[in-house]
Amino acid sequence: MNPIQYYDANQIIGRSMTIILDNGKLETISKNTSKGAGIRALCQGSWGYTSIDGETDLEVGIKNASELAISMNRNTPKERIVLGDVPKRKVAGMPQIKINPENISAEEKVELLREIEKHAKADDIKSTRVSYSETVLMTRFINSEGVEKEYQTTRCGFSVSAVAAKGNNYQAGRESRFNISGYEIFDLNNPFELAKNAADTARALLGAKTPKGGALPVILDPELAGVFTHEAVGHASEADLVLQGDSVLAGKLGKQIAIPEITVIDDPTIPEYGYYPYDAEGIPSEKTVLIQDGILNSYMHSRETAGVFDSVSGNARAQGYLMPVVRMSNTYIDRGDASFEEMIEEIKDGIYLIGSRGGQVNTGEGVFQFNAEKGYLIKNGEISDLVRDVSLSGQTLDILNQIKRVGKDLKLHAGHCGKSGQTVPVTDGAPHISIEKATVGGA
Amino acid sequence: MSNKKVFPENKISIFEIQDQIEKALSFSEKLGAAETEIVFSLNESTGIQFKKDIIETAKQSTSAGFGVRAAVKGAVGFAGTNLLSDLENTVKTAVTSAKIMEEDPLFKSFPEKTDSYPSVDGLFDEKIVDMSLDECIRCATDMISGVSSVKNMIPTSGGFSRSVSYFMISNSNGLFAKRKGTAISGFADVTTSSGAVSTAYDYDVSRKKDIDFSILGKNAAELAKKSLNGISLGSEKMPVIFHPFSFADILENTLAPSVDADNIQKERSGLGGRLGDEIAHSDLSVIDDGTLPGGISSSSFDDEGTPTQRTSVIENGVLKSYLYDSYTAGKDNVKSTGNGYRNSYSSAPGVDLSNFVIRFPPSDVIAETKRGIYIHTVIGAHTANEISGDFSVEGRNAFLIENGEISKPIQSVMISGNVFEMLKNIDGAGFDVRSVGGIVTPSIRISEMSVIGG
Repeated sequence: MNPIQYYDANQIIGRSMTIILDNGKLETISKNTSKGAGIRALCQGSWGYTSIDGETDLEVGIKNASELAISMNRNTPKERIVLGDVPKRKVAGMPQIKINPENISAEEKVELLREIEKHAKADDIKSTRVSYSETVLMTRFINSEGVEKEYQTTRCGFSVSAVAAKGNNYQAGRESRFNISGYEIFDLNNPFELAKNAADTARALLGAKTPKGGALPVILDPELAGVFTHEAVGHASEADLVLQGDSVLAGKLGKQIAIPEITVIDDPTIPEYGYYPYDAEGIPSEKTVLIQDGILNSYMHSRETAGVFDSVSGNARAQGYLMPVVRMSNTYIDRGDASFEEMIEEIKDGIYLIGSRGGQVNTGEGVFQFNAEKGYLIKNGEISDLVRDVSLSGQTLDILNQIKRVGKDLKLHAGHCGKSGQTVPVTDGAPHISIEKATVGGA
Repeated sequence: MSNKKVFPENKISIFEIQDQIEKALSFSEKLGAAETEIVFSLNESTGIQFKKDIIETAKQSTSAGFGVRAAVKGAVGFAGTNLLSDLENTVKTAVTSAKIMEEDPLFKSFPEKTDSYPSVDGLFDEKIVDMSLDECIRCATDMISGVSSVKNMIPTSGGFSRSVSYFMISNSNGLFAKRKGTAISGFADVTTSSGAVSTAYDYDVSRKKDIDFSILGKNAAELAKKSLNGISLGSEKMPVIFHPFSFADILENTLAPSVDADNIQKERSGLGGRLGDEIAHSDLSVIDDGTLPGGISSSSFDDEGTPTQRTSVIENGVLKSYLYDSYTAGKDNVKSTGNGYRNSYSSAPGVDLSNFVIRFPPSDVIAETKRGIYIHTVIGAHTANEISGDFSVEGRNAFLIENGEISKPIQSVMISGNVFEMLKNIDGAGFDVRSVGGIVTPSIRISEMSVIGG
C-alpha cells in the first residue's frame, strides 16, 4: 500500500512591478519574474513539504515531499490525519480586470504617480512618498485526488504618505488602496483626493494633543474597527490556532460571545483585495459566517482542521509556493442600524479613534493593542479636540460584549496580513462601532 | 569520496553562474548601462514545525535567483528573477527601467573593487550543513520536552530551522565577492495546559550548532508559569526595566530607523542634523558592528560588496554617525558604512542595521530597584512613530519589582514613552547581554516611565 495518502502541488508563475516616488525623485522601478512550486505529501500524521524556485519537475518534487513525510512518520509516528471532504461548490465568475496593468507603459505610470504626489504637497509637508505595485499570478493546482485547477489573478494598488514637520514635531499621514483589480484602480478611487487627505492628516496632527490614558467610552471608525475584527476576532477564529490552544475562542462554538448586534463574516468571494477563487488546497472559495448575531458560528478551516471539526474547508492560503495555512480573506463586522450621529450624541466624555497604524494580538489570551492614526475627544455629545499617539488595548471577549452600537456605514480597507512568516492580501472592515468602555493609552 | 562536492557546488555549478554573470555584465554595457551589478544567491533550508506537542511538518526549500541593478546617468533600475536561464532578459528589464528614470547626479557609483575585506569568524559551521533530517527533528522534540518538563505547560506552536546560504556579487567596476553562511534557530510558544491561561515565548538563533533546544523550551515554559495569576496595577510613574527582547523590539522600531542615512536625507528622522549632540546618557554607547564574530548579521561585506566595519553610532551619549549604504554615502560625500542590505535577491538594497550593539555599564539592576516593573516582551512596538520616537506598547510577561526583587506578575500593562527621552533616562543595565535579531543588548533600566495598568 502506498504510504502517502495525499499529495498536492501549487505551481506558480508570477510577475510583479513596484514603482516608488520619493520626495519627487523616482527612486525605484523594480520588476520581478518568478516561477516555482510548493509540494506537500501526507503520510499518516506527518506532512512533508518542499518548495523549489525556478523550473520545477513536479514528479521529483512529489517524490522529495513524500520521502520527507515518510521519514518524519518513521521518526515521530502520530495519529493519522483525516482530511475534510471536498465541498461541492462552484466558483462564480472571476473578477473582471478592465485594464491590464502590464499593457500600461512604465512612463505613463510614473507620470500618474508624479501627479498624485503633487497633491500631497502643502505648507509644512517635509516629505512625500508614493508607491505603486502590481502583481500577476498564474496558479496551477493539482492533487492526488485528480483535482486540477488553473487560474490567474491580478492585483494593483498604490499608497501615498506625507510627513509634516514643525521643529522637532514630525507627523505622518497615509492613504492606500489595493484591490483585485487592474489599472482601473485609479479610476475607482480618487488618488489625488487621497493624497491631499494624507497631507491634511499629517498637518493637522502637528497641532494635535496627546490625551490622558484611561478607561473611556470609545467610538471606532470603520478602519480601526476593521483592524479589531481582523486581528482580535478573525485570528482567534482560525481553526489551526484553536487546535493548538492559541485561541480565546476555543470551546466557544454555539455560545454567545458578543452582543446580538454583532455578525462577523469572512468572504473570499467578494471582489476585494482578499479575493481568491480557489484556496491553496484547490477548494472553491465560500463565505464563512464566523459570528452570527453574537453567537460563535464557525471557525475558518483547512482540510486538515475541517477533518477534526467535521466542518468545511476553503480557508487555506499560501504566499507564493509556501506551505498553505488557515487564513482570512475579506473579513468584516456586518452592518447594524445605528447612525454615527447618535453614537456621538450619547457620549459625555469619550474618544473617537480613527485609522490604524497597526497592532498586535495575543490570540491565546485574547489581549490586543492597536494604535490609531488619530482621534478626537468627545465632550458632551460633540466632537472636540484632535488627539494623536493614541492606542486602544483590551481583551477581545470583553470588547465584544462592551460594544454598544453597530453603525450602518460598513467600509472595507485593504491591507496585508502576516502569519507563519507569510504575507497575504486581505481586506478588513466594519461600520462605526461604539464601545461602552475600553482602555485608551496616551502619554 | 574525494570527489564529493560540498556546498554550494553540490547544488549548482558556481563556475557556470560566474560565467553567466560575466557575460550578462558585458551585455548590459552593450545595452547602454554605465554600470551594472549582479547578485546571485542560493539558500537551502530545512524547517521542522510543531503544534502543541506534536511534530507536524518537515519542510525543505531551495531558493536561488539573480538580482540586477543597472545604472544609466545615475538612475538605477532593478530587476530580479529566479529563472536562472533568464538572466539576459532580466538585465534588459533593469536597463529599460533605468532609461525611463530621470538622471540622478547624486548617484556616485556602485562600490569599487577592493581587496581589504575583514575576516569574520564563526559564520559558517559545517555541522549545520551536514545536519540530517533526523537531527533536525530531534532539535524540535528537545524543545517540546523542555516545555513539558515544567508542570502544566504545553507548547502551542514552534519550530526549528536550519539554513545554509551562498551569496555572490559582481559589478562592472571589477568588484567580485562571495560568501557563505549558516544559521540555526528555534522558537517555542507556550501556554498552560489547564486552569488560568498564561503564555510566553522564547527563541534563539545562532550561526553555529550550539543551541540547547531543551533549555529554550524550558525557559519559555518557566516564564509562562511565573506569569500566572497576574495582579492589576494602577497608573503610576516608575522605573521600568526592559528585558533584551522588549528593549530590542522598541529600538528596532524607533532608534534604528532614526540613524538610517536614507531617513536623515529625506528628513524623516528625529536625529537629522544632530551629529555631535548629546542624545543619550553619557554612559551609553551604540556600535553597529558588521564584523562581530558569530554575529547574526555579520559578514565580511554587505549586500553591495562594501566591506563591513564597526561604526560608532553613539559614543558616551554623543551621536557620532548615521548608517550608510553606497548611494546615501555618495549623496553625503562620505564612505559607505557597509550597511547596504537586501531582503532577498529579488529586491534592491537599502540601509539596514548589521549587529547593533548596546553598551552600558552593567550592575545588578533588579536588586538596585526599590519599586518598578520588569517587562519581558512588548506587543505593538511596530506601531511606534519612528520619526518622533513616540511609542505606546502593551507589556507582556511583566513583573512588579519590590525591594530589589521580582515580586508578582502583572496581568496587563501599557507603557508609553519617547525613545529619545528614554535614551537620556537610562540609569542601569544588567549582565544579561543577548542578541535579539541582530540587536545585542543587556536588560536596560529607565529611571521613570509612565505605566498604565489595565
